[in-house]
Amino acid sequence: MSAAVEVREVRKQFGEIEALAGISLTVQAGEIYGLLGPNGAGKTTLIRAIVGLVRADGGEVRVLGSVMPDRATLSRIGYMTQAAALYADLTAEENARFFAAVQGNGDRRGVEAALRFVELWERRRSVTATLSGGMRTRLSLACALVHGPDLLLLDEPTVGVDPQLRVQLWDGLRRMAAEGTTIIVSSHVMDEAERTDRLGLVQGGRLLAEGTVAEILALGGSDRLEDAFLRLAGTETQDR
Amino acid sequence: MNPRRTLAITGRLLAQFRHDHRTLGILFVTPLVVLGLFAAMLGGDAPLPTLGVVQLDGGPLGPQVAEALLDSEAVAASELTDVNAGESAIGDGTLDGFVTIPSDFSTSLGTGTVSLDVRVEGTDGARTARIVGAVQGGVLAAMQSYAPPVPSGVVAPSLPKLDVAVSYRYGDGDLGPLDQLGGPFIGLIVFFLVYIVTSVSFLRERSLGTLERLMATPLRRPEIVVGYLLGFGLVAIIQSAEVLAFGLLVLGLYNAGSVLLIFGLLLLLSVGAVSLGIFLSTFARSEFQAVQFIPLVVVPQVLLSGIIVPVADEPGWLQPISNALPLTYAVDALRDVMLRGSGVGEIALQVAVLAGFVIVVLAAASATLRREVA
Repeated sequence: MSAAVEVREVRKQFGEIEALAGISLTVQAGEIYGLLGPNGAGKTTLIRAIVGLVRADGGEVRVLGSVMPDRATLSRIGYMTQAAALYADLTAEENARFFAAVQGNGDRRGVEAALRFVELWERRRSVTATLSGGMRTRLSLACALVHGPDLLLLDEPTVGVDPQLRVQLWDGLRRMAAEGTTIIVSSHVMDEAERTDRLGLVQGGRLLAEGTVAEILALGGSDRLEDAFLRLAGTETQDR
Repeated sequence: MNPRRTLAITGRLLAQFRHDHRTLGILFVTPLVVLGLFAAMLGGDAPLPTLGVVQLDGGPLGPQVAEALLDSEAVAASELTDVNAGESAIGDGTLDGFVTIPSDFSTSLGTGTVSLDVRVEGTDGARTARIVGAVQGGVLAAMQSYAPPVPSGVVAPSLPKLDVAVSYRYGDGDLGPLDQLGGPFIGLIVFFLVYIVTSVSFLRERSLGTLERLMATPLRRPEIVVGYLLGFGLVAIIQSAEVLAFGLLVLGLYNAGSVLLIFGLLLLLSVGAVSLGIFLSTFARSEFQAVQFIPLVVVPQVLLSGIIVPVADEPGWLQPISNALPLTYAVDALRDVMLRGSGVGEIALQVAVLAGFVIVVLAAASATLRREVA
């Protein structure tokens, strides 16, 4: 298995706040890697650093073999922002087609597959502003994977999505990973984290612990991920 | 009505104002700036109209009229050798008009009517009126001093009738205020609307996170800017055509120049407006704030670009500001084309300045689209 993402000693300071404090992690190709941590732990900053939107103060990010930021590599990455960043006055299909086109892949079948994946094909002609919050989150996900990326970065992708559809989406992500797509997904919901191959517990811009769910539970000496996390975080559990 | 709940609303609004210094600034500073500019713009001493005097009369009256005009405080007059010199001085903008005192001027006194030819530039009605008035005043003053003293008890002979024939270099004298303002206003409307639409739509791109998303794709910054230019440019083409057709066909605006050239100027102006919209959207955090830029970006240009008061008539300290505004050059070029029938060669300077403005703002707009969000 080769590394799809390598983060080495990445640091980022925003004024007084140290968002990333020399974090290092490696994600293998075809792996679903979960970034778990409270709000303000540095998950979003880390994802932005991986995609090249945050210029690190130090350290190195390597994605699919290239040091980021690298424009050519971006066409192989799908990035879903935390808020559903979409064009509210376009239809669902127009949004998906636009993102496919700017990624350099205007394939019609890709658009249909992506919209079917998030169960929005029937609503493809609906104007995005008229979709529910959960539907918009799903459309945002469709726009991130419409060009068939090798690496999918999902920042809190299932917020507002109902439990039944959440299960379906995870099944879909699992299939994509099986076909070789690497997926990094951030979450602060513990039960969601259990669906990943490996987990990184992030707090204060640092990686507290890393491993499979079983390994994390063993490390934390608990049979509940939440308790294990709290124990590993020690006294540093407050929001940053 | 519960006073506590009502005051809670009031208190919250005031707290919001306290946190939004920019809105406060715009509420309290902008009116003073705009009013001040308005007063300053109208308070300038409009320079005297410039008049050339071609004196061909060998008799006694002609030289006296010429002298009266040269001494006149209503015009800045200078002597000219012949009509051709006057014509070319109007052409290059050094004279607003010239008067020709014909060779038979003094001898025609006997007929009871004296005639003068006044040739004016013609695009500025107020200036034309001031020139004609000054000429009439000059002739009257000369004739009064020329008339021999009348002994008491004798009825003074009535003064001869004065016939001033006015001819116009541009516009045949039928240029009204609408023709004066129409062209520049078309430019202003196109500039203003394209600017607003672009700045708000680009601001949405920034605030809703779609720009961040675009930056995580292989898109290059110039691709985004040029994509915007083409998109809004296309809308601006249609808008310009519509506004121009309305102005020329429905309102009957006077146009002596090429419609295509006017169209080209409007397009150049639109491209500038799109670039400015993208660039300035960097400095606004909400659509509300983008709208607040209007008094800062648009109002000074409306007041100072020469639409209402010619730049030359403004107070001296205001003129450099006017000359730094892109709309000033568009207004100037539009008037040149529509009222004077100027071609590309004659408005090359204005076009060059506008193009320079577009390039600078385009580069600035592109530079604000950094890939990193932090």
